[in-house]
Formats: sequence, structure tokens, C-alpha cells
Amino acid sequence: MGRLRIGRARLFFTVVLMALFTLLITTTTTTSAQTTADIIAKKVSKLQAKATKTKGIIELDSLAFDDALAKPRNYSMVVLFTAISPEFQCVPCKNFDPEYRLVAAGWSRIPDKSQIFFGILDFKSGQSVFQKFNMNSAPSLLYFPASDSPEASPSFDRYDFGKSGFQAESFASWINARSGLKIDVQRPFDFVAFSLNIMGFAGTLGLAHFLYTRGGKVIRSKYLWAAISLFSIFIFISGHMWNQIRHPPYSMPSRDGRPGFIAPGFQNQFGLETQIVAITYAVLCGGAISLMSSIPRIESPSKQRLAVIIWMGIITVMYSVLILFFRAKNPSYPFRLLF
Amino acid sequence: MSTESSSTVARVLKPTILILIAIVAISSRLFSIIRFESVIHEFDPWFNYRTTQHLVKNGFYDFWNWFDEKSWYPLGRVVGGTVYPGIMVTSALIHNVLHFFNFPVDIRNVCVFLAPMFSGLTAFSAYLLTKELKDSSAGLLAAAFLGVAPGYISRSVAGSYDNEGIAIFLLVFTFYLWIKAVKTGSAFFGLLTALFYFYMVSAWGGYVFITNLVPLHAFTLLLMGRYSNRLYVSYSTFYAVGTLLSMQIPFVGFQPTRTSEHMAALGVFGLLQLYAFAELVRGYIPPKQFRTLLKGGVAAVAVIASFGLTILSFSGVIAPFTGRFYSLYDTGYAKIHIPIIASVSEHQPTAWTSFFFDLQMLIFLFPAGVYLCFKELKDEHVFIILYSVFASYFAGVMVRLMLTLTPVVCVSAAIAYSTLLDTYLETSEHVLASTKPVIVAAPPAPAVIEAPTAATSEAKAAGKKAAAKAAAAAAAAAAKSTDADAKAQAKSAVASGEKKRFPIFNLDSRLLVILQLTWFLFMFAWHCTYVTSGSYSSPSIVLASRQHDGSQMIIDDFREAYYWLRKNTKEDAKVMSWWDYGYQMAGMANVTTLVDNNTWNNTHIATVGKAMSTSEEVSYKVLRQHDVDYVLILFGGVIGYSGDDINKFLWMIRIAEGVYPNEVKETNFFTPRGEYKVDHDATKTMRESLMYKMSYYRFAELYGGGNAVDHVRNARMPAEGPTLSVLEEAYTTENWLVRIYKVKDLDNLGRDLKDSTAFDKGRVRKVSSLKKK
Repeated sequence: MGRLRIGRARLFFTVVLMALFTLLITTTTTTSAQTTADIIAKKVSKLQAKATKTKGIIELDSLAFDDALAKPRNYSMVVLFTAISPEFQCVPCKNFDPEYRLVAAGWSRIPDKSQIFFGILDFKSGQSVFQKFNMNSAPSLLYFPASDSPEASPSFDRYDFGKSGFQAESFASWINARSGLKIDVQRPFDFVAFSLNIMGFAGTLGLAHFLYTRGGKVIRSKYLWAAISLFSIFIFISGHMWNQIRHPPYSMPSRDGRPGFIAPGFQNQFGLETQIVAITYAVLCGGAISLMSSIPRIESPSKQRLAVIIWMGIITVMYSVLILFFRAKNPSYPFRLLF
Repeated sequence: MSTESSSTVARVLKPTILILIAIVAISSRLFSIIRFESVIHEFDPWFNYRTTQHLVKNGFYDFWNWFDEKSWYPLGRVVGGTVYPGIMVTSALIHNVLHFFNFPVDIRNVCVFLAPMFSGLTAFSAYLLTKELKDSSAGLLAAAFLGVAPGYISRSVAGSYDNEGIAIFLLVFTFYLWIKAVKTGSAFFGLLTALFYFYMVSAWGGYVFITNLVPLHAFTLLLMGRYSNRLYVSYSTFYAVGTLLSMQIPFVGFQPTRTSEHMAALGVFGLLQLYAFAELVRGYIPPKQFRTLLKGGVAAVAVIASFGLTILSFSGVIAPFTGRFYSLYDTGYAKIHIPIIASVSEHQPTAWTSFFFDLQMLIFLFPAGVYLCFKELKDEHVFIILYSVFASYFAGVMVRLMLTLTPVVCVSAAIAYSTLLDTYLETSEHVLASTKPVIVAAPPAPAVIEAPTAATSEAKAAGKKAAAKAAAAAAAAAAKSTDADAKAQAKSAVASGEKKRFPIFNLDSRLLVILQLTWFLFMFAWHCTYVTSGSYSSPSIVLASRQHDGSQMIIDDFREAYYWLRKNTKEDAKVMSWWDYGYQMAGMANVTTLVDNNTWNNTHIATVGKAMSTSEEVSYKVLRQHDVDYVLILFGGVIGYSGDDINKFLWMIRIAEGVYPNEVKETNFFTPRGEYKVDHDATKTMRESLMYKMSYYRFAELYGGGNAVDHVRNARMPAEGPTLSVLEEAYTTENWLVRIYKVKDLDNLGRDLKDSTAFDKGRVRKVSSLKKK
């Protein structure tokens, strides 16, 4: 009996122990599962708190960056790698910064604020991250999609400033295409620009009115219009629109005997180069005009002859320079005038 | 006496010179035929040629209703409604007329020679246009310039059977008729303008230039206070008839009433009506009341018009500018929004070198001519000025529009050049008679001397005053006897109160200028010949290159490949390639294509781009879905042909990314250092892309497995080339320029194509993969 009791007690004990054990096991497993979700939730709430404070922008440093991007995470992350401090003299960084903040401000308007976050990592505070991503130019903009599995390779998309531009709208649509969210850009009403526009408009109207009433002679002067037309023609035929579209450098330091204002390549040009060409054209055209309208006005034969020789000399030299210039761009061009 | 005989000579000379100019214009465009053969060039001409053949074979109505199921598979294309039929109808007409008179000319030769023939007509219309602006000698110069200017030759050599070939003639001739209409104010010329405008609309999308320039001219004349009944009649006739006619072209349809490009013409038409009405009312109402009425009317019209326009454009009745046109105004637009437009080299902006290359000496004489137009500033000169400024702008934005600039450059340079010649060639009697008939201060002119001999005796009695009077009268008579142009010149000189002009006194200064100018002309002619023969006469389907020993080597790989396709594939074979070669394949290989140079469906093009730029597995699905039998690519790595598909690949990727941003990513094709590489450094995505694999498949074998070098990109290729499992090589041309691959069928045993290929090659499969199954 006693033995039996003991046996019973033992049995009871084992049962209790087992129950305890199973309980323990289940609780530990649940706690471990809870912790991952907890970590993510904690991270999300932390990021949310940070972001709401600063209009959707989270200022990161190396540590915070690693923390925010550590896997697993159920949110995507947009990070702007920038160098805003004045000593870096990064003009595009400064230009893009307000646009980026504009898009980030759109974050606070989306309903579910736990899916995406906008971070800024300045070079000053995140050099190691810059090195890790092999980044040697700023601004760079990376999009890290959400990834649940910790072993997934770090995948990200890079926003192409060259192709898509620095506008907040195009950037927002880029983000939306990737995240499936609808972040809209609401530009704050720019009172300064608006009033400037109004003033400019009024000014133009006033000027037009003035010209119409008083300066009728000026606006009807054909010399004014001739000057405007000729000027624009000279600008256009010397490749100004190309400069407008391609934004070439104004000039380059000269290298291996090649003068610095001539861009290498036939379909390439520098700002200074086109200006020189425009001036050459203008001189040549001016020579032709004076040959036909100024010279016949000279009364004295000897003076007239001198003028003809001078103008013809100028035209010939300038034309030779022009052809020389063209040969520099197209070395196989076979013709020459003087040199 | 001398003037009479010289005018007879001129009457004979002018047509002779014009005919000679036409002959020069035509023959300078024949380089490619002499060098190669009578063949259609490039890409778009092949489509035009194919449709012309269809038109000649099946007649006009069938052509009009033609649904082409062999392009844009599986969508097809409504050819009649998406084409400017002008050029096809023109050549079919010429063909039929010749056949009617029993000249058995092949339609291909009609097509090949169409553009050169029309260039002769263009030169003639340049003559007519310039004659209206200055005189016939300037006209002859303009004709000669336009006949040989490379800016126009670039699009009109023999074999370049494209819309521009006839459109430039129509452009210049329509402008001539318009100027004639404004000058005479006749409804007849207005009607002719409208008719040729219609022809232009049927021939080229560039008609938009006319629809905007002519109203702009009318509007400017209004602003200058030059409203006249002539303007009213000519513009109203032109607009009403021209617009109605232009709407008969299915491709244009209702655009003239809807799109913003045509709104200017409509607006100016309305404005002219209002103005004419106001002029009418002015005749019946006292001035004071008229003024209040006018003010009220203007305000009301302005408010209603702006309100109406805003509503209409917001409600979508008026379409915004079409992409291609819009990119002319906002220069950054195309780059961001429409990669397919930005990818076309014709749509790039123009560097200064291109201007000089295409126009040489004319480019700096051109502004001088514009200046002379300002000096005259009659209605027609205003037109030339507007044309100059706007065409310069457009030519600067888009290389292709050099074509619209070239005629005005030739016309206005001819005006400048012929004024120079006038000044330095004029005989003294001419100058004296025309410039100083009233101010008789200089020694009397030889022509004057004869006449006053009778008057001298009279003068002795009547005194000096009368003598001067008589001399003046005689001089005036002499002035009358010189040709009409000089008279007009003198008149305008006197009328505008200009300072007095003297002749060029010294023979040596005359000689200096004339000889130098003639030398410039020689240089211009050499330049034009050089440019035409060197740069603009390549048919681009047959290539020529020089070998080391200087002999010429003809590379005919394109036609080799197309004929292979034509002879070796079944009739309804679908061949996928990048859109550049669509027209050529349809025209030469007679196969069904997925995309072609029409580029109307960006998504379809992006799908092809996706198939080219993704891995074999992904791509195979696309290929199967579109029933593709063969894939054709260009590969220039062997002979160094830089226009091949690997160099165009980035555009394919970009266009594909625009539609499938999740499947194709441009950044994955760049190395971490941001370079576009094909050698050892090429990214994984690059190496796995179908295009890369097709290009370099078995490339290393060509070099015995060792130093395979891609001559276009100067890249040393890996010895182990890519492997293909969903495609098999079908044909590679002599110089490897074109490679054709056959898309494999699904495996008979239901295996993965990768596995079956590996099995066929006798490779031992890994045990693990067996286990999995």
C-alpha cells in the first residue's frame, strides 16, 4: 500500500513534472515567436515615432542604419545617401533635399504608416555605410524592399537621377511603382513664387502697355526686331539648343595639345565652343552685310578700295578659322582655305 | 538695244540653267546606285516600298482597306489608316502612267529614283519662291544651292524612298503658292495653296510646320497693321479648303479640329473673320461709337475664347500635344516620359558641327539674307523671316528638322549672295541710272550723255535749270529702259529715303570680291560632293569597307540573312527582332514580325525588350506566348559594326523597364562601378540575358577558344562562352553580322529544356537533381 502510495506520489510527481515541462516548452516557443514579432513591432513603432516627429524623415547614422535595415523586417526602407554639409559642396544634394522631404511628407498622409520609411544618411555620420555600399558619389537613393527571411541577400533598387530627374513627382511615382503604395506629393503653396509671378505678370502687362502707348516706335522699329531675329538665329545655328538639352561643361582644361574649348568628338561640344562659333558666324555675316550695304556708301574710291580689302580679308581669315575649327572636330575633313 | 538682246539671252539661259541644276541635283544623288545597285535603303523606305508594291498589285481601294496581319503579330496593323499615303500614291501613279505608255519600268526603280526626281522639282520651286522675294538671278542661285545642299540630300538620295523625299518639294512649293496668294490676293492661288497643302498632308507628318507657319505669318501681318483684303482672301481660302481636304486622310482624321497643333490655324482664321467684320462695321458707324463697340467686342471674344478653350482642353475634347511634337517645346520631356522617342537618333538635338556639315557656307550667308529681308520687309519677306527663326529653333532641337531649315537657308543665302553679286558686278550705267536719277551731282552717265545732246541747244537758251531738268528726265527714261527689278530697287531706295549709293569704283576691288566669292562657291560644291558621297550615300543594308590592301569589301550580310529567312522558313513564320529591323524583315524576308519601325505600341515593343533582356526561362515564356519561331539579332563584334544590338541593348532594357519595372532593371546591367561591360566584368543579369547569350554564343570558338575579342566594345571575352538551351542557332551570316536562332519546341518528354539540352550533350546530371524528381 505504502509502496503503492509512494508509487502514486511518484506518478503524480512525474505527471506534474511533465505537465510543467510541456507548459515550459510551449511557453518558451511562444515567447521566442513573440519576440521576433515584438522586435519588428518595436522597431516599427520606434521608427514611426521618429518619423512622425520630423515630417516623415528619419535621420540615420551608421548604427541606426544597420538597426533599421536589420532583417527580418516587414517594412521597406528608402534611404537617401547625401552629403549636405557645406564642406562637401554637393549642389545636387542640396537641390534634391527639399524634394525628398516633400515626398517624405507625403508619408504622413498614407493610411498605413508601417509599410515604408524614409531615411536620410549623411556622409558625415554614416561613412562606414557609404563604404559598405561602395558609394563614391552623392546623392544616391536606394530602395530596400521588405524582406522576411533573414538569409535573403541584400537586394535594393537604385534611383537613377540621370534618367528620372530630381523632381519629387517622378521620384514619388518611382517609389509607388515599387512599393505599391500611393504616396502623393503636395507642394506647399509657394507665396513668394506666386507673388513674384503676379508681379512679373503685372510688370509685363505694364511694359506692354507702355510700349504700346509710348514706345510704339520702339516696338515697331524693324531694327529691334531684326536684332532679335538675327541674334536668335545665330544662337540656334551654333548649337545652343544642344547645350540646353545636354548641359555640357562650359569648357575643360586643355589636355595633350587639344585646346580646352573644343570638345572631342563630332557630336559633342562645350558651351564656350558654341559661343565662339556663334561669334564667328556673326563676324562672317556682318562682313557680307557690310560688303553689300556699307561699302557702296563710301564716296571716295581709295577709301572704298581699302574697305573692300579689309572686309574681304576679315571674311577670308574668319572663314578659314571656321573650317580649321571644323577640321578639329572632324579630322578627316579634307578642305581648307588659308590654313 | 543691248537690254533687248540680253533679255532674249536670259529667256533662253534661265530654262537651260534650271534644267542643268535639276540634272546636277539628280545626278549628285546617284552615288549609291553607282557604287552598289538600285536598291531601297535603310529601314522606313522598306515599308513604303512594300506598301507601294501592294498598291500597284492590288489597286487603290484594297490598299486603303489593307489590314496587314504580317506585322505587329498578333495585333496586326491597319495600314490604310496609319499611313501617309502620298509617296505610295505618287510612285504608283508614275508607274501606271509609264506603263500606259508602254515603258515597262519596274516599280522598284520608280521608288528608288523618286526622291532624286523630286529634288529637281524642289530646286525649281526654290527658284520660284526666291523670284517672288528678289529676282530671277537670286532664284537661280537658290535653286542651285537647294539642289546640292547636303541638308536636303541627306534624306533624298536614290533609294531613300521616304516621305521626306517628296515632302520637301511640297513644303517649298506650298510656301511659294502661299506667298503668291498673299501677294496677289487671288482665291485661285489660295486654292492652289490648299491643294498642295493637302498633298503635303498626305505625304508627311511635317505638314504641321505649314499649319503653324502660315497662320503665324497671317497673324504677324495683322499685328504689323498690314491687314488687307488680299490677306483675308488668301488665308480664308487656304484654311477652309486645306483643312477640309486634310481631314480626308484617315491618319489625320479629326485632328485639325482637336489637337493643339492645329489650334493656331483655327484661331487665326477666326481672328481674321472678326477683323474683317470689324473693318466692315467701321464703314457704317461713326468712329467714336465704333471704338467702344470694338473694345467691348474684343473683351467679350477674349473671355469667351479663353474660357471655352480651358473647358475644352480639360474635358479632353482637345487633345494635348502629341509626344513627338511636345518634345520640341519642352526639351526635357521626351527623355523622362518617352524613352522610345529619345532612343531614335533622329530625335537628338543638333550640334553646331551638323549645321556646318549640312550647309557649309550657306550657314553664315543665311542671316545676311534675313537681314536683307528686314530691309525690304514686304509681306513675303516677313514670311521668310518667321520661317528662318522658327526653323532654326526646330532644327536645333531635333536633327531631323534640319530638313525643314535647309530650304529657307538656301533661299535666304541666295538672296544675300546675289545681292553681293549685284553690287560688285553691276555695270556703271546700271548703277548710275538706278541710284542717282534725281541727284545729278556726279559726272553724267554714258546713257544720259546721248539723250541730252538734243537738249543742250535748248538748254543754252533756257539756262542751267532746264538742262538739269532735261537730264533728269533722260535719266529717268534710261532708268525705265533697264530691267524691271532694278527699277523696283531704285524705287524702294528712293521711297525709303536711303542714303545715296555709289558704284564700286575700282576694278580691282570688284575682282577681289567676285573671285573670292566664286572660290567660296567652288568650295561649297566640293564640300557638298564630299559630304554626299561620303556620308549620305550609304544604303546601310549593304555596307562597304576598305581592306588593308585598299580594296573594297562589300558586306552583304543583311540581305544574306533576309533571303535565308525567305527561302528556309515556312510562310507564316514569326520572327522576333528589335523594332529597327521590322520593316526590312517584312519587306525582304516576307516573314511575320512582332514589332517594327512604326513604334505605335510601346507595350508590345517593351515586351520584345523584356524577352531580349531577361533570362532564358522568363524569355522562353514570352517567346511561346507570342508564337515566335525565330529570333534575329545583329552582332557586330566580329567585324566591328557599332550599330549592333548589344549597343542598342540599353534602350531595349530602358523601354522594357518602363512597362515591366519589376522584371527588368537597368541597374542590374551595370557593374558596381557603373560601367556597361560585356567581358569578364559583366554582371550576372547581363550574362544571363537572352541578348547577351545570343550575341556571344560560340563566339569564342571563332578564335579557337583563346583570345576572343569583341571589336566593337574592345572587350576581351571569356574563353567559356554562354550556353543556350531554349534556342538553337539556325543561321549566322558570313561576317556574323546577323544571327538567327530557332526557338525550340517544348520537350517531347516534358522535361525542362535546360535539362534536355544537358542530356543531349551527354552531360551527367547531378544525382541530387535526379533525387528531387
